[in-house]
Amino acid sequence: MSNAFPPIETESLSRGRLNLLGSALGPFLTLGIVILFFAVTDQIRENGGTFLSQRNFRTISVQTATVAVAALGMTVVIIAGGIDLSSGTTVALSATVLAWGLKHNWPWAIAVAAALATGGLAGFLNGALISLLRVVPFIVTLGTMTIYLGVAKMIAEETTIRPDQATQVPHWLQELLSTRNEALWLGLPLGVWLALGLALALAAVLRYSVFGRYVYALGSNESTARLCGINVPANKIALYTLAGLFVGVAGMYQFSRLSSGNPTSGLGLELRIIAAVVIGGGSLSGGRGTVLGTLTGAAIMAVIASGCTQLGLNNPVQDVILGVIIIAAVTLDQVRQRRMAG
Amino acid sequence: MPALLRMTGISKRFGATVALRDVALEVHAGQALALIGENGAGKSTLMKILSGAHPPDAGEMLLSGERYRPANPHAARLAGVAMIYQELNLAPDLSVEDNIMLGQERQRLGWLDRRAQRRKVAAVLERLGHPDFSPETEVRRLSVGAKQVVEIARALVMEARLIVFDEPTSSLTQADAQRLFEVIGRLKQSGCGIVYISHFLEEIRNVCDRYAVLRDGSTAGSGDLAGASEQHIVSLMVGRTVDELFPQVPHTPGGVLLSLTGLSGRESPREVSLNLRRGEILGIAGLVGAGRTELLRCVFALDPVRSGQVRVANYAPSASPRARIDAGLGFVSEDRKGEGLAQSRSIADNMTYSRLGPYRRWGWLALRQRNAAVRNWINRLSIKARSPEAEIQTLSGGNQQKVAIARVLHQEADVLLLDEPTRGIDVGTKAEIYRLMGESAAAGKGVLFVSSYVTELLAVCDRVAVMSRGRLRAIRPAAEWTEETVMACAIAAERT
Amino acid sequence: MPLSRVLLLVFFVSWGLAGCSGQDAAGPKSPSGGGAAGAKKKYRIAVIPKGTTHEFWKSVHAGADNAAKELGNVEIIWKGSHLEDDRDGQISVVQDFTTQRVDGICLAPLDSQALGPFVKEAKQEQIPTVIFDSALDDESSIVSYVATDNYNGGVLAARQLSETLDGKGGVILLRYNPGSESTNQREEGFLATLKAEFPGITVLTSDEYAGTTENSALDKAQQLLIKFRGKVDGIFAVCEPNSTGLLKALELEGLAGKVKFVGFDPSPHLVESLRQKKLHGIVLQDPVKMGYQAVMTLMQHIRGETVEKRISTGEYVATPLNMDEPAMKKLLNPQQFGE
Repeated sequence: MSNAFPPIETESLSRGRLNLLGSALGPFLTLGIVILFFAVTDQIRENGGTFLSQRNFRTISVQTATVAVAALGMTVVIIAGGIDLSSGTTVALSATVLAWGLKHNWPWAIAVAAALATGGLAGFLNGALISLLRVVPFIVTLGTMTIYLGVAKMIAEETTIRPDQATQVPHWLQELLSTRNEALWLGLPLGVWLALGLALALAAVLRYSVFGRYVYALGSNESTARLCGINVPANKIALYTLAGLFVGVAGMYQFSRLSSGNPTSGLGLELRIIAAVVIGGGSLSGGRGTVLGTLTGAAIMAVIASGCTQLGLNNPVQDVILGVIIIAAVTLDQVRQRRMAG
Repeated sequence: MPALLRMTGISKRFGATVALRDVALEVHAGQALALIGENGAGKSTLMKILSGAHPPDAGEMLLSGERYRPANPHAARLAGVAMIYQELNLAPDLSVEDNIMLGQERQRLGWLDRRAQRRKVAAVLERLGHPDFSPETEVRRLSVGAKQVVEIARALVMEARLIVFDEPTSSLTQADAQRLFEVIGRLKQSGCGIVYISHFLEEIRNVCDRYAVLRDGSTAGSGDLAGASEQHIVSLMVGRTVDELFPQVPHTPGGVLLSLTGLSGRESPREVSLNLRRGEILGIAGLVGAGRTELLRCVFALDPVRSGQVRVANYAPSASPRARIDAGLGFVSEDRKGEGLAQSRSIADNMTYSRLGPYRRWGWLALRQRNAAVRNWINRLSIKARSPEAEIQTLSGGNQQKVAIARVLHQEADVLLLDEPTRGIDVGTKAEIYRLMGESAAAGKGVLFVSSYVTELLAVCDRVAVMSRGRLRAIRPAAEWTEETVMACAIAAERT
Repeated sequence: MPLSRVLLLVFFVSWGLAGCSGQDAAGPKSPSGGGAAGAKKKYRIAVIPKGTTHEFWKSVHAGADNAAKELGNVEIIWKGSHLEDDRDGQISVVQDFTTQRVDGICLAPLDSQALGPFVKEAKQEQIPTVIFDSALDDESSIVSYVATDNYNGGVLAARQLSETLDGKGGVILLRYNPGSESTNQREEGFLATLKAEFPGITVLTSDEYAGTTENSALDKAQQLLIKFRGKVDGIFAVCEPNSTGLLKALELEGLAGKVKFVGFDPSPHLVESLRQKKLHGIVLQDPVKMGYQAVMTLMQHIRGETVEKRISTGEYVATPLNMDEPAMKKLLNPQQFGE
């Protein structure tokens, strides 16, 4: 019977690979258009020509690092069909914990570990509540969003924690996202390299690990996952914890950038984090999303913000453009999906 | 008298794929046309064109002699063409009544006229032979069969001139199906034209007057059903003669493999005891809601067990799907889309989710080995797909079902729990699935085969059990049953 | 087909926009004679407020614009972060202007520390920075600090409130937001003066933060008014959104006019309320002067003149009695950008 159909050709396999790349193609195209637009406009303008400079791209990479790293974690959550509204306040909580630790003269390694652990713990709690209470992620994280805000305020005693830069903050942490020439390492600051490394690692985990397969399975069809003997609660807790760790790293970034820990500095950040994933092709109904797409999504937002400043476009215009891009990017992606399915 | 519907020269391409090529079709008022063809032959595309979901690239449609070219499904509905799809289009949170009247609400000054609606709904349900349906029930609580009744009722409310039934009986019990056939008869008498898509040649003879066969997007043949032999129609469908619809693979039952003692779930099953032997195919018949699906789910620990025991080869595994898989059970769900398969994931993922162990290296996946294994299964089961990485949703129903079955085979399960594995797939694929079941039995595995299609149960199984109201009523060798005695047993127990 | 159409649309829109801003840039250039010898250099000065939506900043913008018009060779680029307390956003704006190599920056820092390194970075790129409104802890990299003496503003508020209360009673201090230097100074000036000069006054609470918006201030103020009902005789709100929110809370609780109320910074609504004696004093800064002075000081520095390290722009108290005097009138309804 098996001779009734020809074996699968290798040619068709490579076409499959092309499609895989294609899933991040939409956001890439958008990024290209946005860059092109600002580059051209900037060239025409008097005193222009700085937009395409290496320095400007370095600056943009630094500005987007915090959102991008947190969005990596969010990518995992969204692929698995969840959402984490608490990621914004968790960033601030981690930054606050880091600032508190340094202020109390903890060794920096301990303080940084505590900040990451805080993020991980926050994620673990999200995952545990979602799995054990069987409440939808939107509601659970809506709750933990304000819980984490409150905890951060308690730690900071409702003010901003400012460790002494000269004596309490290690040099590398100050320079983590600095664009000063001395702080660069092969053209980019350490923090950007770290973010890229984390992205690469996460992409590998999602694509090549068993856990990664389970994440996609959960988001695509949780019933199927259960039926195939996948431990749904354990994997959910694991993936929310992983996302939390990324958010913890983002907290460290925020601290480095603001050189202080402020409990309220993460409010509203979650929407930008989610937007990065969604612009990057992540589907809020789960099962879809890529690391490359998310990084592109974060970059798109940063380029728009930076480009608008450079062109002297005011904030309202920038708001409108970003909104249009979000809708356009997602629509474009859906149109493409439909054509592929049709 | 002109035909009610005349489609001529219909062609449709999707990108490089030719879906339909110069198809012609004719439906007369008061007659039913059977539209036959394997999955992927173009039936769905043709019906989507008829219902306005896709515009044709070429060709013409005449409805009652007038040019008919619906811009969208709504326009088609207004023109009097109603569709009853295979995938149910119901709002699960609304009541039976609200679903039936959805979009056609009776109103007075913008307010719902509940009384008029209730009358209308009652009349329609009466016509369907289900006057006992409560209009307030939430649709999500209905069984698949009952949901379909609601879907059909909705089309009846529209009083359409042409009604398309896309495999309406694939999930109905025979009693429900019989009632439906009566309704279709009445619809024909009142002058409606019917297009009837089904894989069941037996019931087509029951319902239809004429047939048209599609193969690979073209019309392969058409004519009056009276005088057309089953062999002839099947050969038109598959393009080659199929000697046997039910291929037999010799196998002999051995020792007990799976044994259930007094197994009870939340509501059903109730105290079910049975033994499945190695090398045995055990069929389970019954009406929709008789507890057959629940029985399999309890055995696989997807539903909670209240009392009783499940033993596999004398060993009682703990109550989680993982433990049951490890004990050698494999489960194929009746709900491919909702539960069985992750639609947006690849064939490879879906086939191996339940057993990634062989490809796991320190938590990482050995993708090359896995792809090789998956490709092997794709070839063995003749799954038509571009590559192991192709998404499930790009496959036809029959090929999706093969992936679901390939999963339990890949899993090397000893006991196959198959819940309606042949529902909604074409004759050719069905035969392949029967053959796979036979081969599994020949290899010493046990198969528990739930189906609403008694003919296939009697043809394929060694023994057949009948369930009703959660209880196992009788279990006998297949040779000792007839279709009538099976149904009588299922219904008789229902009445007590 | 639809995909390519969308792309085409995007292309044309961007092309159109590019054309527009191209014209914008070309506008001021053409009168200078198309690069004729001796054409005056046009200085591009970025002015970065804490926010862009409050009245106060619109007046600062007007002041900066006045300076630009007076000087003739200065172009003001006005750009704030999106929200009043988005520090990261403000840092990005400073970075972007540094990258873009503007000729100078006037900055009202949202955080006295966080912005420091980025001002230093600008200096390394030979871009001078004048700080206005709120101080920066690290003053080594800045040209000058142009601001109201906020501490003195708090002192004036304390004296005005005590005067209306005849030196006795319970008062509430409604703080703004943690980490804001300017309002912190007002709060300290207020508390220190009460302690030193008015022993008859009890501070009921002084550690409540109203947040950055009118809405958050309204919520907090209402809670406090309920909590201290009957005990509170006077309140000091340290900035404009605070004052507006508090006023609304007083009206909702039926206490407007009964509880003595001194605010900080005016708005048309607050001025009207001052006339109706729902407010009993508004401490005024001179935002127009602040914007003007910041740009002027920066340009003086660029021209190579020496400038003062600290420039105060003055602070005043408007009361229902003096509010119609011409000088006060001008401060109560400061010029706004675009008028």
